[in-house]
Amino acid sequence: MSTGTEPEVESELTQPASGTDEAELEALLGDRAIAREEHLNAPGFVINPNDVQAVLSDLRNEAGYDHLSCVTAQQYEDRYESIYHLKKFADPTDELSIVVPTTSENPVSQSAEPVFRTADWHEREAYDLIGVEYEGHPDLRRILLPETWQGHPLSKDYDQEKPQLVTLTEHQNPIQPDHRDAESDTMFLNIGPHHPATHGVLHVETVLDGETVADVEPDIGYLHRCEEQMCQSGTYRHQIMPYPDRWDYVSAGLLNEWAYARAIEDLADVEVPEYAQVIRTMGAELCRIASHMLALGTFALDVYGEFTATFMYTFRDREVIQDLLEDLTGQRMMFNYFRVGGVAWDLPEPREEFFAQARDFLNELPAKVAEYHDLITGNEIFQTRCIDTGVLEPDVAKSYGCTGPVVRGSGVDYDLRRDDPYGYYDQLDWDVITRDGCDNYARVLCRMEEVEESAKIIEQCLDLLEEWPEDERDVQANVPRTLKPDADTEIYRAVEGAKGELGIYIRSDGTDKPGRFKIRSPCFSNLQALAEMSEGEYIPDLIASLGSLDIVLGEVDR
Amino acid sequence: MNAATTTPIQSDVLLPERLGDLTGLNEFGLAGELLSTLIGAVIVGSLILTMTAVAGPWAKRKITASFTDRISINQIGPAGIGIIIADAVRMLSKENIIPENADRPAYDLAPIVIVGSALLGFAVIPMGSGIQLADPEVGLAFAFAVAGIASIGLVMAGYASGNKYSLLGGLRAVAQNVAYEIPLVVTGMSVVLFAGSLQMGAIVDAQNTQTLVDLGVVSIPAWYALVNPFAFVLFLIANFAEVGRNPFDMPEAPAELVAGYQTEYSSVYFVLVYLGEFLHIFLGGAIISTIFLGGPAGPGPAALGIVWFTLKIWGVFFLTQWLRSAVPRVRIDQLIEIGWKGLLVLSFANLGLTAAIVGVIA
Repeated sequence: MSTGTEPEVESELTQPASGTDEAELEALLGDRAIAREEHLNAPGFVINPNDVQAVLSDLRNEAGYDHLSCVTAQQYEDRYESIYHLKKFADPTDELSIVVPTTSENPVSQSAEPVFRTADWHEREAYDLIGVEYEGHPDLRRILLPETWQGHPLSKDYDQEKPQLVTLTEHQNPIQPDHRDAESDTMFLNIGPHHPATHGVLHVETVLDGETVADVEPDIGYLHRCEEQMCQSGTYRHQIMPYPDRWDYVSAGLLNEWAYARAIEDLADVEVPEYAQVIRTMGAELCRIASHMLALGTFALDVYGEFTATFMYTFRDREVIQDLLEDLTGQRMMFNYFRVGGVAWDLPEPREEFFAQARDFLNELPAKVAEYHDLITGNEIFQTRCIDTGVLEPDVAKSYGCTGPVVRGSGVDYDLRRDDPYGYYDQLDWDVITRDGCDNYARVLCRMEEVEESAKIIEQCLDLLEEWPEDERDVQANVPRTLKPDADTEIYRAVEGAKGELGIYIRSDGTDKPGRFKIRSPCFSNLQALAEMSEGEYIPDLIASLGSLDIVLGEVDR
Repeated sequence: MNAATTTPIQSDVLLPERLGDLTGLNEFGLAGELLSTLIGAVIVGSLILTMTAVAGPWAKRKITASFTDRISINQIGPAGIGIIIADAVRMLSKENIIPENADRPAYDLAPIVIVGSALLGFAVIPMGSGIQLADPEVGLAFAFAVAGIASIGLVMAGYASGNKYSLLGGLRAVAQNVAYEIPLVVTGMSVVLFAGSLQMGAIVDAQNTQTLVDLGVVSIPAWYALVNPFAFVLFLIANFAEVGRNPFDMPEAPAELVAGYQTEYSSVYFVLVYLGEFLHIFLGGAIISTIFLGGPAGPGPAALGIVWFTLKIWGVFFLTQWLRSAVPRVRIDQLIEIGWKGLLVLSFANLGLTAAIVGVIA
């Protein structure tokens, strides 16, 4: 595409993306669109590497594409390519891909960071793993790999076999330098990578002015496990599905699996039986409750201290869900329950017992939620700690690509389950929760209310499953043993994970393995906003804000 | 307040004197007195340290566990009580790691100062059953004064550790102790106004020789917690800040500052710091019991005094653990605000009011 002569994609692959007015976009972009491309989820426009900022800001300001969902970079035989996956917060089905090819010899492209703040980290990742350089990026350095890493592991010329030793002298211990500035009276403080409140191995470089946070910079990558590459070397049919469980590993397994299932099913045009969709919906919402319980418990740890009863209470309730999920999937955490085209097996026998257990849980839930409100959100000290701290204005949240309860706590009504329906969600009766507080308190309340909405969904799913005719209980579609989508078919699909928009971009290369597999992690984007939320506030607010973002480092680092 | 006189719970003879009589050491003059005082101190110290040993490794875990729906230690001995010995061996046999940047004499002294200051305070506490080492005229002031020394220990620990988290914890400890010591002492003074004396024994007697309400069958004594519940609550709150427990556990603030001033302490030093914390909780409980809850008074013969007194201290200890499980921690600026703008004003108001009332009655 560097030459502008891109191969025409077969028209049968194109699905009309609803709501996208292509003629208007063509008019808006004019000559800057040097070619067209079709992705399964969205129309694509190919632009020149030095038009990125102008095009993206026009699209945001004129056409309303205010959500830079993801930046995917990849290398072809003859070129590098960055894809900006754009959406609208108002209507996420209105998608658009901006494709920016650069030459192999000089992979330099203009940075989108001045237009969308979220591009900061996404482009750093693209640089780190692929090797595309972004001109005008404020801080283009490695983000997941150590500073001294040689080469870009997902580029074509990278030798995967060659071992790399990152020596201690080269890979400087980040704890070592004391960045105390002789001029000022600020103090540099390393929070993490081993710290009780970082929810995993996160390193937050903090500059303090007294107890006030002057500067925050999260340093991630400690838990990078090459998930994208592992998915790229697995076959579509069976070998990829176990990996999503390991992204957000604390309890959101099925939600993650659904992200891959949705992407591959749309890519390979697989129709999932309705019965399986209902089971998926129920399982996913169970995971969401479990995940939100954990978020609430760990947030309480951050605000209360490590002896709080709340943490154990949430774990007690989460345990009930874990038991249900174990009955359903056979596993407590790494479920591997979804299959391409359905789920692994039907509900456990005897079904009545499973239904009874699930209903028991749902019946007890309101009392438990009331207990949490009593114990946590109703507490005045908790309120003084959380209200008006960690403030994230809606516009800032959008610019950082925040999603999930984080953006809904800032009053942005964005939930893919409703706005870009999949599974069985559009046929069930439930509400999207939003809160206008923009603060830590709003995010906590948002999660607690979402638990109740999820319970509503599960209840309806149970009713459906109970009455489903016995001879129509298909749990899997008829999917070929080997999936080989046509070469150069591209798709970006997202689902509403526990933490927000979990998206997957797949480009097929004609084989039974993906040519490029890119994971858009909600935690990755949400964590970026931490600095915005905590600068100028106190250390305890920083810790609380970090807790309210509810990150899982396994998903941030992948 | 009816002035119905009952037998004073307070025995006139202090522990060292009695020991001297018992062992005949009194006949050896000053040296004998000194020795009997030392024996008395060992007895009181052992009593307190035993209580701390039960509280730290065992009771605290059990209490927290019951709040958090867990079972906790249950393997060694009945109800896991043997964990006290196991933990002692474990903690003492660990390597004592001293950071390179530690400021040596201060770093080593800090744990001793923290523990010592709390232990000193118990010298003037009347624990009932005749257990009291000394009963000076300035008893209450002495208890506050020595308990206040702990702040120095915390700053020493925080500063000398050469760790930024420790430093922040130490700074918080000072800010907090300064902010809460004043309301604590001022509220304590309102009790002194009632009792007309700083002497611990006199304060206890004053509470138990008078009756607040006589219900015929039982008469409710004029414990100052009942006479002036407002002062009691103020004192209780200031005390939690003073000992650094939720909602005021700022100096440690585990989720924020790792472990605050005690981050770098290990092995024996850690045991001392940890011990110091519990001693301070117990000393706070002892002062509260003495000046607000009638000291060792309770139903039954006066010989049971130590039992009642222990129960009262443990009541306060239980309360700290309860709060720890249930109440969020306030932020450092909010803590200071509550201290200076809230408690200080209220405590002076309470003092003025008490003075006026006592003046009118007198």
